[in-house]
Formats: sequence, structure tokens, C-alpha cells
Amino acid sequence: MSGVYVVLEDRNGRFGRISFEAIAAANILAAQSGSKPTAIVIGAQTEALAAEAATKNVGKVVRIEHALLSPYTPDGYAAALQQFIAAESPDYIVFPHTYQVRDYAPALAARLGRVLIGDVTQIADGPVFIRSLMQGRLSGSYKSTGGPTLVSVQSGAFRAEDAQSSPAEITTFAPNIEASQIRTKPGEPFRGTAQTVDLGSAPMIVAVGRGIREESNLNLVQDLAASLGAEIAASRPICDNGWLPIERQVGSSGQTVAPKLYVAVGISGAIQHLVGMKGSQCIVAINKDAEAPIFEVADYGIVGDLFEVVPALTEAVKSAKL
Amino acid sequence: MKIIVCIKQVPERDAQVRIASSGKWIEESDLQYAMNESDAYALEEALQLKEKHGGEVVVLSAGPERAGTTIREALAKGADRAIQVESDTLNQLDALGVAQLLANAAKQESPDLVLTGLQSDDLGYGQTGVIMAEIMGLPHASLILNVEKTDSGITVKRELEEGWFQNIELPLPAVLMIQSGGTKLRYATLMGIKKAKTKELKKLSATELGQPAAPAAALDKITQPQKQKSTQIISGSAKEAAATLVEKLKFEVRVI
Amino acid sequence: MSLLSVTLAEPRSFEIWEKLLLIVLVAASAALFFRRFAPILNRILKSRKDPNFSLAPIGKRIWDFFWEVLCQAKVIRERPLPGLAHAFVFWGFCAFALVTLNHFAVGLGLGFLDPAGIFGRFYSYFAATFAAACAIGIFGLFVRRFFIRPRWLGQKVSYESGFIAALIFILMVTYLAAFAVKDASPAASALWWIHSLSILIFLPIIPHTKHLHLVLSPATIFLSRGGFSKIPPLVGDEDFGLVTGKDLTQITSLQSYSCVECGRCTEHCPANNTGKELNPKEIILGLRGYLNEYGPSSEQNIIGKYNSITADFQCTTCGACEFQCPVGIEHLPIIIGLRRGAVNTGAWEDEHGAKLFLALERGSNALGMSASERDKFIQKQAFPIFDGTQEYCLWLGCMGGYDPKGREIVADFARVMNYLGTSYGVLRKEKCTGDPVRRLGNDLLFQQLAESNLETLAQNKVKKIVTICPHCVRTIQEDWKEFGTPPEIEHHSEFLARYADKLPRPNQDDRVPQIPTLKSGNEQKVSETDRVPQVRGPHDQVSDRGVEISPLRPGNDKIVYHDPCYLGRYRDVYEEPRVVASLAGQVVEAPRSHQRSFCCGAGGGLVFLGEETGDRVSHTRVNELIATGASTIGTACPFCNSMFRDALAEKGDAAPQLLDIAQLTARSLPSADS
Repeated sequence: MSGVYVVLEDRNGRFGRISFEAIAAANILAAQSGSKPTAIVIGAQTEALAAEAATKNVGKVVRIEHALLSPYTPDGYAAALQQFIAAESPDYIVFPHTYQVRDYAPALAARLGRVLIGDVTQIADGPVFIRSLMQGRLSGSYKSTGGPTLVSVQSGAFRAEDAQSSPAEITTFAPNIEASQIRTKPGEPFRGTAQTVDLGSAPMIVAVGRGIREESNLNLVQDLAASLGAEIAASRPICDNGWLPIERQVGSSGQTVAPKLYVAVGISGAIQHLVGMKGSQCIVAINKDAEAPIFEVADYGIVGDLFEVVPALTEAVKSAKL
Repeated sequence: MKIIVCIKQVPERDAQVRIASSGKWIEESDLQYAMNESDAYALEEALQLKEKHGGEVVVLSAGPERAGTTIREALAKGADRAIQVESDTLNQLDALGVAQLLANAAKQESPDLVLTGLQSDDLGYGQTGVIMAEIMGLPHASLILNVEKTDSGITVKRELEEGWFQNIELPLPAVLMIQSGGTKLRYATLMGIKKAKTKELKKLSATELGQPAAPAAALDKITQPQKQKSTQIISGSAKEAAATLVEKLKFEVRVI
Repeated sequence: MSLLSVTLAEPRSFEIWEKLLLIVLVAASAALFFRRFAPILNRILKSRKDPNFSLAPIGKRIWDFFWEVLCQAKVIRERPLPGLAHAFVFWGFCAFALVTLNHFAVGLGLGFLDPAGIFGRFYSYFAATFAAACAIGIFGLFVRRFFIRPRWLGQKVSYESGFIAALIFILMVTYLAAFAVKDASPAASALWWIHSLSILIFLPIIPHTKHLHLVLSPATIFLSRGGFSKIPPLVGDEDFGLVTGKDLTQITSLQSYSCVECGRCTEHCPANNTGKELNPKEIILGLRGYLNEYGPSSEQNIIGKYNSITADFQCTTCGACEFQCPVGIEHLPIIIGLRRGAVNTGAWEDEHGAKLFLALERGSNALGMSASERDKFIQKQAFPIFDGTQEYCLWLGCMGGYDPKGREIVADFARVMNYLGTSYGVLRKEKCTGDPVRRLGNDLLFQQLAESNLETLAQNKVKKIVTICPHCVRTIQEDWKEFGTPPEIEHHSEFLARYADKLPRPNQDDRVPQIPTLKSGNEQKVSETDRVPQVRGPHDQVSDRGVEISPLRPGNDKIVYHDPCYLGRYRDVYEEPRVVASLAGQVVEAPRSHQRSFCCGAGGGLVFLGEETGDRVSHTRVNELIATGASTIGTACPFCNSMFRDALAEKGDAAPQLLDIAQLTARSLPSADS
């Protein structure tokens, strides 16, 4: 049997959005032969997850189940999938490009004499797989020579699809895995130590600058940070005034941060500040001065009075999260 | 502990990269090169382990002759000796082919630990270490921020997504792919550079290490990316702008 | 009895035993002196030879010796009152050379100056004049040291200094008193003996006190490295800067023993003045202490007992110490030498420092920005690319290429060049000149950056460079010489001053709009407690950032110009930026200006090194500039500008506006051009 397979990732008993995006990417490949992809769930107890996967836009669902597949180990996953691939000889296997996939999929590919075409952002006719090179400065088009073809797709690159009406058929595959094959011993996941403020690992940051004018206005920004679940940070004048502790200062004399989202409120964007946050993935600037340099580095800008914009934004975030 | 650190020379972060006329590679003339960033962290981790537990740090790098400058830099930072797999045609290989060369070279050294960076700043495959482990028959772990030696092997701190971490125990020998930012890098010094001049740099030709596999995924064409980053100014009243922004954060940035 | 009939009394001729006693005492005094001085001389001479040292140009050395030693010009210029007092003591000593020789000759019956003879009489009056001045001078210095007690002379009262002052005073008084006693009287003999004993006691004290400068500083001044902050090239494979005693050169050792402990360096040091550990005097005395304990061939690290690495890295390299030093000590090569030793061997560990070094190892600029940001700026401004046909290469520098405010300065300067019709172009790629790493002592990085840039400039056939950054100017022109021949370079103030008569003056230019009425709404609130009333032009508009964006008018707006260290002391450019600024308004001076300008705190790589201890240098300076009452702070360096911008942020609405001289000029350009 051949076809397109998509591996879904178990995140504490649920699927992340990226797994559904992988289904969408797999459907692009499957559409070439007019079929639907087969979803793969891997683990020790996959029944509930498989049932959820069956409601998605897939033709079938396979549970690759073995007691040694939980917790995740690269040895266990690679061995299980290798056996499955040997049995099914698929044409394409699509993965979400997650930390876990990056940990085992290259090893799996190597066992098959293949490589993973990783972090794909687009699938064109051919199929041609497009991914970034030179940290996004260039794009590379890849073609697979031979099979199977292993592809992982970048988070957010494909639009997750809505559920289909009739659930797909679910089958189970039981790999043979010996405990001795699993050479690494994973521990329980834990959160980073949060005793001191660690802006460096915060996924979201709301930073405030001189535009806030008075210490008593800080609560506006704190509310916004709370609604987003973000850490609060500041430019140097705010910390100089003692309105926020010095460890929350972002910039050349403070911390260097690179969160997924950086909201700069009332920060004009002096170089001392910019060097500390320029690596952020998405920068939002709110400032009443349209000429403020912060807008040069921002992805999204709102030119306006922060005393109006910030409360409105807090409300909008709260209602979006409901 | 004998540690091999794999290092790649990549175009400098600020290099203006142009597409070669073939359309299949970048124009290499006039480029300036530097050590791949996460490899620098792998080297730092190795040097710290050596400082704590003794042993030897051997740098392993595959690349054309110019990679020698980056290898010297690694020696200057404190590595003891280096092996260069010299080849001008590495760009015709895929991650599997390069990893085969490196793994074959590494095997000759029988290391206790092989460290690589997580991902290269140029091609960004992020697979070399994992594939090397597979070829060498060693256990591996990726996205590693910290390595502690234990009686039975090592315990490593692995980064998971969304601010979570995990400790993993591995027996030695093992292969680790090191994530950037786990430790503070040391800067290169004049004294280090001068000492590096007398350190051994062994060159191996790619052919000595066996014919690598033909690429399973071929880089067919390089193009300019479609969209450049630009600032979107969101207009409207405070309420409207806030609503639009939240839409974007939800569906474009996907952080809400 | 007229005054001219008074003659110097000489003692009666001496008995044999007196002569013998005198010979024994002189021999003992001289022996004691040499016993103490010889080890010092030995340590200096046993130090490593200075590589590349040359006496040429000898004329300059002779002039410096004449001017700084004989005329005491620097001593007087920098501290007029104590300086003059010192000069009288010095000149008194000079005048006494012959007197003293004759004095002892008289004791042996070999006197050659006849107090009644024409020359002898004349010379004794001449010497007496100096003796009186010297006595007054030393008394004044004594009062200053023991009663006024300026901070920079140190916390500890030096009784030695008091004792020596007393000896000098006695010397002078005994000489003068000899005019009032009878020739060959017992009183004359007594005075003679007191005078002799004072000299003989003074001599052996010299080597182990700061009075060693009497012997050494003339040599120190004559043998200086020359130039300002001249950093010697590293020689050979074992030279990493000042690491151990083996790295101390003869000039460095000589300088460390020459220190007179006057504390002028401390007095003017911005780090010391803002509560930091660094005290340039202690750096020099630390070297002396090291040499005394370990000697010049020791492998003991200098940083340690006698030197603090923290202090070494607090120096902004403003050069006020070196500029002030009256005995020719060159502090900067020493402080930078210590940093070189620490950085080149990897001994210096600093989070921010490592970040800076790594940014420049991997990228092109000290700010760690992506070079594409510079490309975007060039595109946005539509700057022409230098292709060899233009007259000037406009060097952007890190601040001009990446800092938002630095970019505004560059853009404004380019507008002025466009207005003047000067052809210029910018380079496609440009790396940091290496200024911060040069001053922080990272020779590896500095060499890489200098060589890479020199290659780029040569490829592009650049002949002339102009830039807004004094640090770039200095580093390109002086420091790069070690690795090649840099093109001619000038600072934009020099360029603009040359075209001063072609630049518009707003009050003579009809094209500048005259706003007839004052709108009260545009006036800024000035707090009552602010001691500085703000002068605002009637047509000033206030932007959101609290910075005016309108032209200035002369006679209405006062501009206080801040001398950047790297333009003033390093390049001796003081008048050009003032000429440019005066086109836009009335230039007023801060209390510390020109050669004595007080640093902004950014230099020496410190702008990249994170938070300062103590007060911020920039705040101290900004307060001083604000206190002049000027409504505008004029700068000529993007680093000063950046430091002041931060410091002014805290002043809120009361802050004066902050503009580079290029911006002051650009504001007066016809609006069609903007």
C-alpha cells in the first residue's frame, strides 16, 4: 500500500494547531492522487486522540501503539515508525515541524536512507517543497529523489482545516520494541525556574516607555500584559525612575530579549532599547508620534494615544480569548 | 572525556547573499564567513566540560579550504586540535551525505561525546547531529541547553516548546545537538589565536571517508522570498485598531 | 644706606675641621641619595626597551621641554594660582643652582661669586628675588595642602610634604636673611650652616617621595611617546599588552616614578568624579608600587594587589588625565595597555563586553544590528553609492548607520552637502572602525576590523572621507595606521566650517519663515524650581517627543556647545564646530569647555558596557550644560548625543533641545531643499 501519511503530535493528550496544519499540507499532496491522507497517532494509549483525529479531514487513522512509546523517546518513535513504513511503504509522510519531530524524524529518515525535507512553508506542484534558506533571506525549492519522502511543515504555514462530517476508520499497528532499544531516559517536563524575572525566555512581552508619563498609569499596561499572559518590561527611563525593577529593563544596559510577541507601548525606540528587542519575532508598536523610530522595526503599528489604545486592546484580547 | 565538536563555517550574519547564476546555489565569491552560531555554543559547552572534567576537545569541520579560518577560531577559543574534511562539493550533498562524512571521520576518534549545533544559519536543515548519531549507532538528544556529567553517563537539559524543559539521561558515548543561548560564549583572544597556530589541524579528503549517498532531496532552485518584512500601520479609532490588531495577532502571528 | 648697598653676608673663612665636616656631610648626603635613587633608576633601566621609540622629531621634544618644563606652561595653565606658586619654586630652584654651587664652594674657601662684585651683586639680587617668590610660593602651597586640602591631593595628610616645604622655606629664608647680617659675623656662619644642612637633608629625601619628580619629570617630558593617547603596537608573539612586570617598558616605568601626586588627573577624571573606583593617579602609583615590590622582570600579574581590573574598565578614555598631567605621564596607553593585557589573554570577563566582542566577531557593527538595517536606511534616504567618482566618501559609522538619532544627523548633514553641491557617496558595506574594541584592548578584533575596512576603502578607491563621528575620525586616521594607509578623513564640523560663508544664516535669510505672533499654547511649561529659564523662539513648535523641530534664530537662542573628547583633546578641533553652531545662534560656554571639556561617559567602549556604578557621567555633564541657561545643547558626536538624550529624558519638559551641529545647519536651509 502507498499513499500520504501525516503524523500527529500528542501534546499532553491533545493535538496542537500545528498537527492540523500538517493534515492540511498532507491533503495537498494527497489531492494529487485524488485520495486523502492517513493520520498516524503514536503513543501508549492513543484511543482518545485517534478518535479526535478521525473527525479531521483524513481518510484513515492509524494508532501506532506500544507501552514503550510513552514517554516520547527518539529511539522508540524511530523504531516504531520504521516498522510501520516497512509494512506500509508510503509515498509521503508529513510531520508537523515541532521540536519533537526535529528530534527523531532525521534519524528515521537516515534509517530509510532518506532525509527529512524540514520546515517546509509551501508545497507547489511537482511536488516542490519550498523552505527558507539563509535565515529567511532566500527560499529554496526541493525535489525528492526516490521515496518515501519525509516532509515537515512549518508552524503557521498551512491553514488548519475544519473537521469533516463522518469519522474516518481507525486501525491499530503494534510495533515490536524492546526496552533495550531505548537508550535515553527522559525526565518529567518542568517549567523554567521563575524565581527571578527571566525576560529572555518569556514568549510574550509588553514593554512600556516614557509615553506612560506617570507611575500610576502603569496599571493600564499591566492589565494588557495580564490579558495576554505576557511579562512586563520597560525602557531605561522607567527603571531609572524606579517605577519598575531594573531586571525588567530591556536594552543595551539591560536584558536582550527575543519573544514571539513584543508590544512596545509609549516607547520611541532609542537605539539603546532597539538593540535589546530587535530579535523579537513580532513587534507591535503603540505610540502617538508617527515618526517614532520604533515604527521602523515594528511589524504592526498603531499611531495613537496609548491611554485610549491600550485599554481598548486589553478588552479586545480578553474577548478574543473567551 | 574526549569530545568532538562539529562546526560549520557559514556566511557571516550580515553578509549580502546573492543567488549564483546557476540559480541552484549562492554566489560564494566576496562573501565573508563566520562560525555557525549554535556551533559556537556547542564548542563553548565542550570547553566548559573539559575545564570541569578534563579531557580533549577535537573540532571537526567539513568544508572547503576557507573553513580553515573558522577552525582556527575554534582552536583559538580553546579546542585542542582539529580535523577538517576538505571538500569543495559539499553543497551537492544533502544532510545525510554530509553527516556520513562527519560520522566516518568522528568514528576514527572513538569519542565519548559528539556535540553539534542545533541548526546551521545558512541551510538550516537542523539534522546533522541526529543523523550522525544514527550512523554511529549512538543515542542522541537535541535542543540541549546544558550538559552534566554523571557516574553512569550524562544528564542533559532539553528545551521543549512554550517555556518547558526536560532532563534526559544518556549513556556515553552519545551525540548532542546544542541549542543557542544555554551558556555565555567566550570571546576570541589574541593569545588564543597565537596559541592556535601551533595546534594540530588534520585534513582528510572526502574521498578517503567513503562515497556519500546521492542526495535524497535535491535543492533545485534558489529564489528571493516573496514577502519582505514591512510595517503595517493599523488605522481607525482606538477600538477599531485594537480589534484589527487582535485579529492579526490571532490569525497571522498566532500568539493569541 | 641705600638698598643697593646691601650685600649678601658670607661667613668667615672656615677652620680645617669645619671643611672636613662639610666634606663628610656632603659625601654622606650624596651617598644616601644615590643609595635610594640607584634601585629606582635600575628598575627603570631594567624595564623592557620601548619598541619603535625614536627621539625624532627632536625639535618637538626640545620645544616641549622648554615650554612645559622651563616655562612651566602646563602647570600654570591648568591651575593658575598653585601653578604659579609652583613655577616660582621651580624657577627659584633654577636660580639657586649657581647659588648653591657657590655656597658649598665658599665653605671650602673656593667661592667664585663675590657678593660685592658686579656679577655677584647682581646675581645675589636676582636670586633673592626668586628666593622671596619661592618662599611665598612654598608657603602658599603649604597652606593649600594642609589647610585647604583639595580632595584630589588624597585623604592622607603627607607630613613628608610639610617637612620638605619647611626645608625649602628655610633655604629661602636663610638666604634672604644673609642680606641683613654682617659679613663674616657668627650670624652669617649660623645661617650658612642652617642653609647647608637643609640642602643636605633635602637631597636624600628626594628619591622616596613625590619630590622624585624634580629629578625625573624633565626626562619624562622630554622622552614622551608623543601624540595623544598613542597606543604602542604590540611586538612579537608574546606581547599582549600590560600583563606582568615584563611588559612594563622603560617609558612606562619612568612615568610611574615621575608622578608628583598632584591629583590633577583625579580632579578631571569623569569616572572618579561620579563615584567610581577608577582614580588615574592610583593607576600610576599602583605601577610604582608593583615595581617597588616585584620589579620589572616579575611574572606576577599587574592586575591584582596594585591594580583593580574594575577600575581599569571604568575609563572612558576621555584623556583629561593625560592632557592635564604636568609631568608628562601618558595615562591612556597605560590604562588601555592594562585592558589589552586583560582582554588579549581572556582574563577580563564581562557579560556586556563579551556581547560587544561577539557582535563584532560575527557581524559588522558594535550595536549588533543586522547590516540589512543599514541598507534599508541608505535606500530610504536615497544616498548615492560611492563609486570612485565622488569627492567624498560619507562614512556612516555604527551610530550614523543604525542609531535612529545618528541617522537623523547623517541625513541632515547629507542635506547640507546637497545644498553645497558637494559630491559624495556611501559605501555599500562598512564595518565598525573598531574604536570601542581598540579602547577596550581587544587587539584581535581591532586588527580584523581595521584590515577589512582598509581593504574595502582601497577597493572602492576612496581618497577622502567625511563623517559625523569623531571616534571614527580618530580611529581611522591614527589607529588604523598600524595596518595600512588610511585615506584622508575629516569630521563634518571641519567640513562645515570651511563652507561657513556659503551656509545660510537664518536671520539674514528671507526664506526662513518669520512667525509674527507668539502662540501661548506652544510654550512649554517650565517648572518653578528649575533654575534654568528656558529661552524659546516664538516660532518653536513642540513635537510629541518634547523636541523642537523648528529653526533657531541667532540672538534669541543660546546654544551651549559640548566639546567631544575625541574631537577636542584627541584632534584639537575646537573652533570649527563653534563657527558652525554660531550660524544658528549665540554660542555660550559651559564651565568646562574646550580642552577641559567633561566627558559624556560613552567613550572607551563604555557605552556598551551596561550600567555604571555611582552617578552617570552623562547626567553630571547634562546638568552642567543645562545650567548655562542655553535652550539648545549643540553636539558634534553621535555618542555624546545619544548619552545626553538619555540623560535629558529625565528632565521632562524642562529639557533643552539637543541637536548636532549638522542639524543646526540643516534647519536653516531653504525649506524647498528639505
